[in-house]
Amino acid sequence: MQTERLFDRIDSIQFKGITKKYGTGFAVKDLDLEIQGGELLILIGPSGSGKTTTLRMMNRMIEQDSGSVTINGLDTREVDPVRLRRNMGYVIQNIGLFPHMTIGENIGLVPKLERWDKNRIEERVRELLNFVSLPPEMFMDRYPRQLSGGQQQRVGLARAMAMDPPLFLMDEPFGALDPILRKQLQKEFLKIKNEINRTIVFVTHDIEEALILGDRIAIMDQAKLVQVGPPEELIFNPVNELVADIVDTKRKFKHMDTLNVKDLMSPFDEKYVFDGKINSCDAVEEMTTRDIETAFVFDDDELLGQVTMMDLMKCRVKIQKLADVARPVKTFQPLDSVAFALSELKNSGEYLAIVMNSKHPIGILVSDEVLLKLI
Amino acid sequence: MVILETVLDATWEHIVLVYTTLFVSIIVSIPLAFASLYSKKLEFVVMKFANMVQAVPSFAVVAIMVPFLGIGFTPAVVAIMLRALLPIIKNTYIGLSNVDPALIDYAEGVGLSQWQINRHIRLPNAYPAMFAGIKFAGILANSIAVLTAYIGSGGLGEIIFQGLIGYNTRTLLAGAIPAIILAILIDISFTLLEKKVTPGYMK
Repeated sequence: MQTERLFDRIDSIQFKGITKKYGTGFAVKDLDLEIQGGELLILIGPSGSGKTTTLRMMNRMIEQDSGSVTINGLDTREVDPVRLRRNMGYVIQNIGLFPHMTIGENIGLVPKLERWDKNRIEERVRELLNFVSLPPEMFMDRYPRQLSGGQQQRVGLARAMAMDPPLFLMDEPFGALDPILRKQLQKEFLKIKNEINRTIVFVTHDIEEALILGDRIAIMDQAKLVQVGPPEELIFNPVNELVADIVDTKRKFKHMDTLNVKDLMSPFDEKYVFDGKINSCDAVEEMTTRDIETAFVFDDDELLGQVTMMDLMKCRVKIQKLADVARPVKTFQPLDSVAFALSELKNSGEYLAIVMNSKHPIGILVSDEVLLKLI
Repeated sequence: MVILETVLDATWEHIVLVYTTLFVSIIVSIPLAFASLYSKKLEFVVMKFANMVQAVPSFAVVAIMVPFLGIGFTPAVVAIMLRALLPIIKNTYIGLSNVDPALIDYAEGVGLSQWQINRHIRLPNAYPAMFAGIKFAGILANSIAVLTAYIGSGGLGEIIFQGLIGYNTRTLLAGAIPAIILAILIDISFTLLEKKVTPGYMK
């Protein structure tokens, strides 16, 4: 079966009077919302607010009881669901990679069902893996469980892009990752988003993520849309207490001067320590096993710097030692003030620093985590 | 004393009987297992029937064929099949229904049709359970095929019964030993097939 493309680009998506009932309660009630072509719209709200239901009504995974969803003027109910879904990229929290298929087969599944020929599928898979910074020759034939969480998430994204859809639906794609990893993937995703320039509808419950990624944010509560607008509008003109609460307009950094780095750092974990003498290929394997994206390189007791998975993937010289590729990393003393540390981080453009007690690493400082804890 | 040719002929008949039965059982079981996924009622009926047949002694199942189907190859196939169905249906059904619902949900989300979900997601994930069932059914079929010699199916049972009646140990062994070897070969043949179709991550 070959699926016709329904649209080359999205001009607008309209929700009109959408209502979905579950038993006696409402999952979504009288929703009117317009999504503009090319924007990243965030759906955010407490659990049970109807944000995932709203997303799933776009690809007819859930059918509304009344109202209509139209994409470029086309009512979704007039389109066969399978065809509709193949025109959208879909990414979910638990990634949903099929465990019995290799990475290549996972990404190439829908192209295969669309009867692409073998060479074209392989070419596309390589292209996409390169795009998400996973060297194809290294990853194509692996099975999902052989990949780290971060790598799997990248594969999930690559797979959603397989058919080059004009619209992406993302349901808490980074929700299951630890905070440091999530931060890194968000940064990467932001770059990708600007490169592919597609319409994206993104469900999250993390307001930080929403503020970083969203062009506009739609706040939902108890099955209703409360407010929709760009981040600054929500911060400066929240329509009610709930919105103010969610975007946290009352956040004050009043303790900034009194706190030290050690109060706000995350404890150091040995899994981040790598010896400078091991070569970069082995390091990639080991980082995969330990499920980390950044490693700190030590030579005996001396801190040499940091390496990220992205850096290592890019330099493909086999015999390279970690000591040669490590980039400098900011270090702080436990008793440095938080204000000082934050401004140092900001000036250097880093968001991660290591806290050293004389020669021993005792913690990691992540700028956004610090801000969160300051509330 | 039996001559080698007789044993080889009987072994061949035995193999044909066992594999024909298994083949038919698989062809019948897999669609039933899939259909049971979509209908609770059918699942109930199929499982009840298969369990019931399983409870009847093998020899009785063989004997009961005679008034309905007479004697010969076909009634033997039906008798063995009645016993071989259950492990295959039950295991295939369990394998198919135990696939992580999140995977099915995701497969729907990327635009797989029901048929494609069954073919590409459910079936491969059910292979291990399914093959365990087929192997067990194979062993069962092999032993019941000995009994069906009584209703004229031919096969190694004929030689074994001859040996038993005549108190002739050599004849008895000439039938029993190939039957034992066959049991092992059946297991190996399906293990090889399983290795071939099972995706790499499960091996």
